[in-house]
Order: sequence, then structure tokens, then C-alpha cells
Amino acid sequence: MLKHLYDTDCVTWSPQGKLFQVEYAMEAVKQGSICLGLKSNENVVLCSLKRQPSELAGYQEKQFKIDDHMAIAIAGLTADARVLCKYMRTECLEYKYTYESHHPVGRLVYKVAEKSQHKTQSGAKRPYGVGLLVAGIDPNGVHLFETCPSGNYYEYKCQAIGSRSQAARTYFESWFHLFEKSTLEQLILHGLSAIKKAIMEDEELNEKNVEVGILGKNQKFTHLNAQELRDYIAKLDAFNPNSQIQQE
Amino acid sequence: MIFNSEISGQQQHTTSPVVTGGSVIALVYNGGVIVGTDTLCSYGSMAAFKNVQKIAQISKNTIYASSGEFSDFQQVVKELAKIDRSALQYDDGVHPSPKDYGNFLARLSYKKRCKINPLYLQNVVAGFHNGERYLALVDIYGTYLESNFITTGFASYFCKAIISNYWNENCTLDQAKQVIRECFKVLFCRDCRAHDVIQLAYVDEQGTHIEEQERVDTKWDFNGFKFRANEKLHTQ
Repeated sequence: MLKHLYDTDCVTWSPQGKLFQVEYAMEAVKQGSICLGLKSNENVVLCSLKRQPSELAGYQEKQFKIDDHMAIAIAGLTADARVLCKYMRTECLEYKYTYESHHPVGRLVYKVAEKSQHKTQSGAKRPYGVGLLVAGIDPNGVHLFETCPSGNYYEYKCQAIGSRSQAARTYFESWFHLFEKSTLEQLILHGLSAIKKAIMEDEELNEKNVEVGILGKNQKFTHLNAQELRDYIAKLDAFNPNSQIQQE
Repeated sequence: MIFNSEISGQQQHTTSPVVTGGSVIALVYNGGVIVGTDTLCSYGSMAAFKNVQKIAQISKNTIYASSGEFSDFQQVVKELAKIDRSALQYDDGVHPSPKDYGNFLARLSYKKRCKINPLYLQNVVAGFHNGERYLALVDIYGTYLESNFITTGFASYFCKAIISNYWNENCTLDQAKQVIRECFKVLFCRDCRAHDVIQLAYVDEQGTHIEEQERVDTKWDFNGFKFRANEKLHTQ
């Protein structure tokens, strides 16, 4: 396939019906470090692996609070993610100013998707090179969405994006039936277990390279602090999802 | 409060109202919120339109009424309906709550006030959402006040005593209706721009109910009217 004939810009289709620029943008998401999200009836948990560009550098933050009831985890071009993050925060503030209530989650994801799609239908623009996992809680319930550079968005019970995310998704496929009724602690341990599947052999989870954010129906978005992260990581070896089945 | 914009060629701003609606009285009761208005729109001191419905249903669980310039009332109804319709566009099952409408109206009124071109209205937004009663006043300046009872116009002067003596926030629907009817009876006697035909609407768990217009009882057969005072003196 002579890709290079059809991949110069977004306004050229390939004979197979693909927009290569959009597909390449989705590759950028796959190159980002892993982040995942999972939800129960009451909570949503976001876990991400932070990358350190060099030993001298700090770790790149991957989760951003959008509003008290909503947060995102990013995979891909951080600069593009900042643009979308700013947009989402502004929309939430405007909605709050006008209506004195929280922006419905699905509606904001729809707006982001519209914005992303716009970039895929112009000769002079490029798609956003970032995928978002949007966690949020509104009167319609507990939500976890994924957005794509293509402008598509999907709602999930649990999802992982970024590099080696397939390993985490495989973990989810085995255990996601337990998530709905899980407690917050179980949910966090599931999330960390899934991330553990996706790290390299010589890497270790510690409170520096892992980021965990939680949202609950009565809980605003917060990050776990270093001590809490250490405690949860310490519980990982003893964590056995099978025991959860016996409880039910 | 009248601003006269005499500058020709430039945008004119609202100076004073033309067709006006009278007082609105709204109360919460045990299980919902009830709003009452009369059915008159005045053209200055002329009772021009006597059969006007001045309570609008905005959504399944929200109603809206106002006193002041009636064309502004009609415009606000359109603006609030727009919000409800936008829910269809997103198709996500999320509908604004009564409080969303109330706050939106406050923001809209404030914006217009800042441009010295207000919506010449005292607005009342009432609703029932998630088991909770909602009642708010938004005035011409964009002030937003949530309360258990609201009176606009002349009702603020004549009816507060009646309300505080005969109403409490946990009374029954019928008790609340009687209080409102009594208030409009007094208003008809004392407010020159009031009418004796009123309309009640209430929102509860089941939704919105707008009732038929009804005529308030009025009593005119006082001795003082039957036998005029100066005639009596004359015969004595």
C-alpha cells in the first residue's frame, strides 16, 4: 500500500477508505505511557504511569482536574492535552456560572469530540495527538469516557490507553464483572494491578511513577498522596480478586 | 426609574413598560410549590387584556410567572424553552433542573441590566426536583433569591400579613390555595391594576398542573355601599 500517496493531509482519503493523518494521530496516543480508568456504582478511579524524561527531570503529570466532579487522564502529546484541558475547564466554569450546577459529563465529552472532529476535516489543520480518559459523575450516574483524535468517543466500564495497554485490558476482561459492586479500595487495587501488568520487567511501581485519582458521588476529585500510594502498592502482592467473588 | 434615551440614531433602551401584568404570589406547601397570578394585562390604567395566561410551563417540573412588561415575559418564556430544547439536541437524557432555569434567568437579567436595557420584570421560577421544592425570585436587576414564599408588585405590600398569618411551609395544597385566593381578594380591592379573575398552577412530584381560571369571591353588599353615608345624615 503506497501510504505516502494519501497521507499528506486530512482532506485526502485512501482507496481503502482511511484517513491516514487521523490514524497517525491515534498512533501518537499509543506511544504515550499507559493510563487507565475503571468505575463502580459509586466511584471512578484513574491510574496512570508517569514518565520521567531523564534522571534529572520530574515525572510528567497525566491526570488533570476539570471540575469537582470531573477529571481527565491523558495519553499522547501533552501540549495538545493542555489545550483540551483548558477548553474543558472553561466550559465547566461557564456552565457553573450560568446554571449553578455541574456540567453534564457526556455533554462535555461530546463538545470535545466535536472540536476534535473539526480538526480532521480541514486542509490546514492537524488532529489533536492525545487521547483522554474522562471520569465524571453527574445526575445521570458514574461515567468513564474515552476520546480519540478522530473525534469519536465511547463510554466504558473500564478502559486502558497508551503503550502496553493491551496487558491492562486483558486484566480488565478477566475481572471487570466485579467492578460494579467493588468498594473504593478494591477498585484502586484493581487499577494498580492492571497497571502492574503493563510495566516493563525491570520497572517497579512506586509512589513517584504512579498517579491515582479518585472521584465519588460524595467525593470531589482528589489524588492519592505519596503515603497512600505507598500503602496501596504494598497491599498489591496480597490482593487477590478471587476473594472478592467469595464475598458475594 | 425611567431612563429617557433621546439620542436619535442610537440604540434605544427600555424606558418604561407598556403592557403590564400584575402581582404574582407563590408559596411552597407540603409536597410542592404553588404560583398564582391574575389574568389581566393592563395598558397603563386601562384593563386591556382580561383573559391572559401569565403562568408558563417551562419543563415537566418547572413553571415560570412574572409581573411587569408582558412582552418581556413572552421573550423569557422563549429563552427558557430554548434551553429545554437543547437537551433534545444533545440527546443525552440530561434535563435542566428548576434551579438551572432560575440561575440562568438571573444571569440573563443581570447582563441586560448592565447594558441599561433590562427585562422589565419581577420573575418567579418554581419547580419540584428530586423530592425538593424550588422557588426563586429574580428581579429586574438580576438579583436572585430563593425563598419559601414570594410576592411581587402590590402583593408585597398587601399580602405579606395574610401570608404570615395563615400560611406555613408545610400546609396542605388546599390551604395554600385558600391563602392565595384571599390575597387576590384583597388585591382586587386595593390595587387599581388588579383583576378578580385569577389562575393557579402548582408543581409536585407528579409534575405540573395549571388550573382553569377562577373568579375570586368579592363582597360588595356592605351597608356603607347600600346606604350612602351622606344620605343617612340627611335623613337624620
